[in-house]
Amino acid sequence: MKKLSLLFFAIILLSGCALYEQDSYQENYVVESYLVAGDELPKVRLSTTSPISKKYKFEDNTVSNANVEVRRLTPDSSVAETYAYLEQESGIYKPQNSITVQDHQLYGLHITTDKGDEITATTFVPGNFKTVNELQEEYMYQGSQQIEVITTPSQYLTNRQAYYIFTVNAVNPDTASLTPFYMDQVLNGDSEIEDFYINSSGIINEKNYDRNENNNIQLTVPWLAIAFYDTNNVVANAIDNNMYDFLRSQDVQTGGSTLSPGEIQNINYNISGGIGIFGSMASDTNQVVISKPDQSNGS
Amino acid sequence: MKRHFVLIALLLFPLLTLAQQDASISGYISDAETGETLISANFAIANSSKGTSSNTSGYYTLTDIEPGTYTVVATYIGYQRYEKQIELTPGENLRLDIKLKPEGYQLDEVVVTSKKEQDEKRDIGLAQVETEFIKKVPTAFQADVFRSLQLLPGVKAASDFSSGLYIRGGSPDQTLILLDRTTVYNPSHFFGFFSTFNPDAVKDVRLYKGGYPAKYGGRLGSVLTIFNKDGNRNEFKGTVSLGLLASRAMVEGPFKNGSYMFAVRRSTLEPVLAVLRKNVDNIPNSFYFLDINGKVNYDLNANNKLSLAFYSGIDDLSFPFANDANISLNYGNQTLSTNWTHIFSDKLFSNFTLTGSRYFNYPSFNVASTPFERSNNIYDFSLKGDFEYLPNNSHEVSTGFWTGVMTLKLQDTFDEQDTFSSRIHTQYGSWYLQDKWNLSEQWSMTPGIRLNAFSEGNYLRVEPRFSLEYKPTDRIRLQAAYGRYNQFLTLISNEAFSGFDVWLTTDNGVPPSYGDQYVLGAKTIPWKGYGLDFEIYYRSMEDLFELDPFLPDQAGLPYQDIFRFGKGYAYGAELFFERRVGQLTGFMGYTFSLTRRKYPNFNEPLAANGQPRFYPPKYDRIHDLNVVLEYKIDKRWSATASFNYSTGQAYTKPLGRTAAFDFPTSGNPLNQLIVGRVNASRLPDYHRLDLSFSRTGTFFDLGEAEWQLQLINAYSRRNVWFYNYDLEKNPAQRKEVTLLPILPTITYSIDF
Repeated sequence: MKKLSLLFFAIILLSGCALYEQDSYQENYVVESYLVAGDELPKVRLSTTSPISKKYKFEDNTVSNANVEVRRLTPDSSVAETYAYLEQESGIYKPQNSITVQDHQLYGLHITTDKGDEITATTFVPGNFKTVNELQEEYMYQGSQQIEVITTPSQYLTNRQAYYIFTVNAVNPDTASLTPFYMDQVLNGDSEIEDFYINSSGIINEKNYDRNENNNIQLTVPWLAIAFYDTNNVVANAIDNNMYDFLRSQDVQTGGSTLSPGEIQNINYNISGGIGIFGSMASDTNQVVISKPDQSNGS
Repeated sequence: MKRHFVLIALLLFPLLTLAQQDASISGYISDAETGETLISANFAIANSSKGTSSNTSGYYTLTDIEPGTYTVVATYIGYQRYEKQIELTPGENLRLDIKLKPEGYQLDEVVVTSKKEQDEKRDIGLAQVETEFIKKVPTAFQADVFRSLQLLPGVKAASDFSSGLYIRGGSPDQTLILLDRTTVYNPSHFFGFFSTFNPDAVKDVRLYKGGYPAKYGGRLGSVLTIFNKDGNRNEFKGTVSLGLLASRAMVEGPFKNGSYMFAVRRSTLEPVLAVLRKNVDNIPNSFYFLDINGKVNYDLNANNKLSLAFYSGIDDLSFPFANDANISLNYGNQTLSTNWTHIFSDKLFSNFTLTGSRYFNYPSFNVASTPFERSNNIYDFSLKGDFEYLPNNSHEVSTGFWTGVMTLKLQDTFDEQDTFSSRIHTQYGSWYLQDKWNLSEQWSMTPGIRLNAFSEGNYLRVEPRFSLEYKPTDRIRLQAAYGRYNQFLTLISNEAFSGFDVWLTTDNGVPPSYGDQYVLGAKTIPWKGYGLDFEIYYRSMEDLFELDPFLPDQAGLPYQDIFRFGKGYAYGAELFFERRVGQLTGFMGYTFSLTRRKYPNFNEPLAANGQPRFYPPKYDRIHDLNVVLEYKIDKRWSATASFNYSTGQAYTKPLGRTAAFDFPTSGNPLNQLIVGRVNASRLPDYHRLDLSFSRTGTFFDLGEAEWQLQLINAYSRRNVWFYNYDLEKNPAQRKEVTLLPILPTITYSIDF
């Protein structure tokens, strides 16, 4: 009986040591490019990953001499048009011709490296949308009147709801024009001022907003989004699946989820043959001035 | 299905047996000094194999006794042996209520002469923790029920900061927690640092770590039952304890045909916060937690007892964490249970309970005049009935039902606009039947079956349960158990912080989790006063559902799309050795265990078409050793030491990095870590020694007093909680986030 118990225990111990070992580092190609509906075709960055123990610099990891193409695809994924790219700086490729990105269209990225490796990805550009209401030129910070933007809805490939990211981009940011909460963050050393040049809402589902009788979406910009007084661009962005997957999984990597601390998962990349992002979005910008409460009271 | 018919046939068999003309004895076993009923106390006929134990109401029944003259004995650890000669006539049902006199907590020698009492406490998968142990064992800041349970083999803590119970590979939501038979949904204070149960108010704590019987259900893993004290039935008594973090007071006493107990515990941090506020920024404006426990008992007559128990606990925080930014937290639990114990006959005992449980949580932030508010409520009202029928000494049949309605409401608003709203209203019901069948002196088995119904999604689940026991000698018990378990709820929480806990339920497209448990065990008494137990287990977990951690916003998504569905398994071996005699007492518990989980799109290789792989959750530890020793130096002084060693927790080691430089909605590059297998690396091994010294005395002749000085993490080992990778540094820097340093605490208690 004693021997049997020992044997049983030994079996358990051995099976418990079933190998679950850490993978070793492998270099991956990294691509980065974002199509914006109505804008010109964007540049494409091509580089490689770096081991965690090494210094990382994009310039040290670029991949040159690759054949880079962006293709406009038909709904059945056959090629409608091909746009050739040229390497302008090491690892940075730009389109040979000035081409405008069309909304509600499927695009593909096709890269062949000088080693013959292929990297491919596709993106569906969200439908364009526009602001339909008149914004005030100036808003008093934390005043009774918040910035309200009414936009037409953005359409996507499938019936999925639109995913938005709203950003407030400071036009002339400096430390003196930081709003109190952000000033505190910078002065305490918790953050750098650059962190707030573009202040992002994170991903917000369309269903958070009611549609009005004209089927338009009404957004109220929270005061929390305003990091700087003075001139700001309020940008509404409707993002594609690739940006959605990338951003939500990158957020989790930085700790914003229910996962235990230290339980890190790779980012969700929709790239074949490498990692990175080939994303797209549609956006609309409004410019406003945010005045300090005392200034507005005095004026 | 064939298996189920066999089980039902086994269960119904005892009901077909013929009544005998033999006599029986039944009654309550209680503490002679306080009148508290004693759970699992042993009752036996001397020099015979006939014996039984009191149930959770302190009631026992022994049937099938031939008329004659006998000596009956009753024993309970820490109490003097009770002995009485009785004479039974044919067909007599003797009512014998027994009062046991306490001998104090630690005994110089074990006086328990009936192995039955020891046996009952050591059923397969079952662990019991004495209230005195909870108060004596060193724990950070406060004596704590959960922290004490975490010393047992098979029970782990996520960290020094978490009192959550991770039992045999299960997460905290896989343990059903019942206070006076009422479900408690968030049993934590101080954002998870310790549990809500005030040790002054608690009478009995028992944990079914696995393979639990058909009487319980609703959770995949374990059941923790806690009973509050009934209150002293003989005299007015009280206790006051003053501690650094919190202080406690408890009073209890009798009234005609009844008793009462009220206990209160409140944090006493305000003076510390006031001092800190003068010198340090970002100190909370206010913070407190408060518990109130109460119980009132009234005996209508010998066969009918009523009790009313309640608990109310709250945590409240207001914290201006930056300029123009404030966080407020307000959460807690309230429970109410009304219990009616009715003895139909010497062979049929019943218990009916009406329960109400509420969990509330109202966190709010206001940053730069942008408010975020959440209203999170659970209301659970239920009716339970439990029956114990003893047709003869071979069978102990239990059956019962539990039915109720539960409402879960969750409402989020951001900038005064509703962003998420959910109201789940569900009915649930269950019925069980089990029979402890004593086949012979050596063999017994307990087949059981449980039916669970849950209206949200219209689920009906059958759960067979079975346990078997073989006693080759008086000192060895070999046990085996199997059970199927279902769970209709899932908890959204974070091991680092339980202040935002949200529960969600099954529904259409969200089936209940289920799993099987297999347990084998050996309970032995190698020498008188010692115990050596060994258990091995395997459990599966299917259809695990939890909130998808990668969803930034749930608005507009179908209910089933907010979850991810996974599976898992766990197995392990537990060894428990205890010494209960002499000046030096204590136990050593060792656990070998392995836990794995798998979810779609998680832990996949970066290569195309990579499939998800099983991974160990962070709390998985291969080896876990606890040694707890108490040494009684003399009548006034005693010392307790608790040492824990365990394999470092799992973490994911980053392998590479890159960045997105042009992300349109970010002003900074978005750093990206490249990882391999999730949680394939291990933090440094964890070890910690806690010490406690107690000195008893008197308080101006008004009562007994005790000083307790504790040293948590005596050699200040900086155990690592997790690694933080700072990618702003180049190359990336790994920073250790450590757990508790050395921490002295002092407590003064007065019993009057």
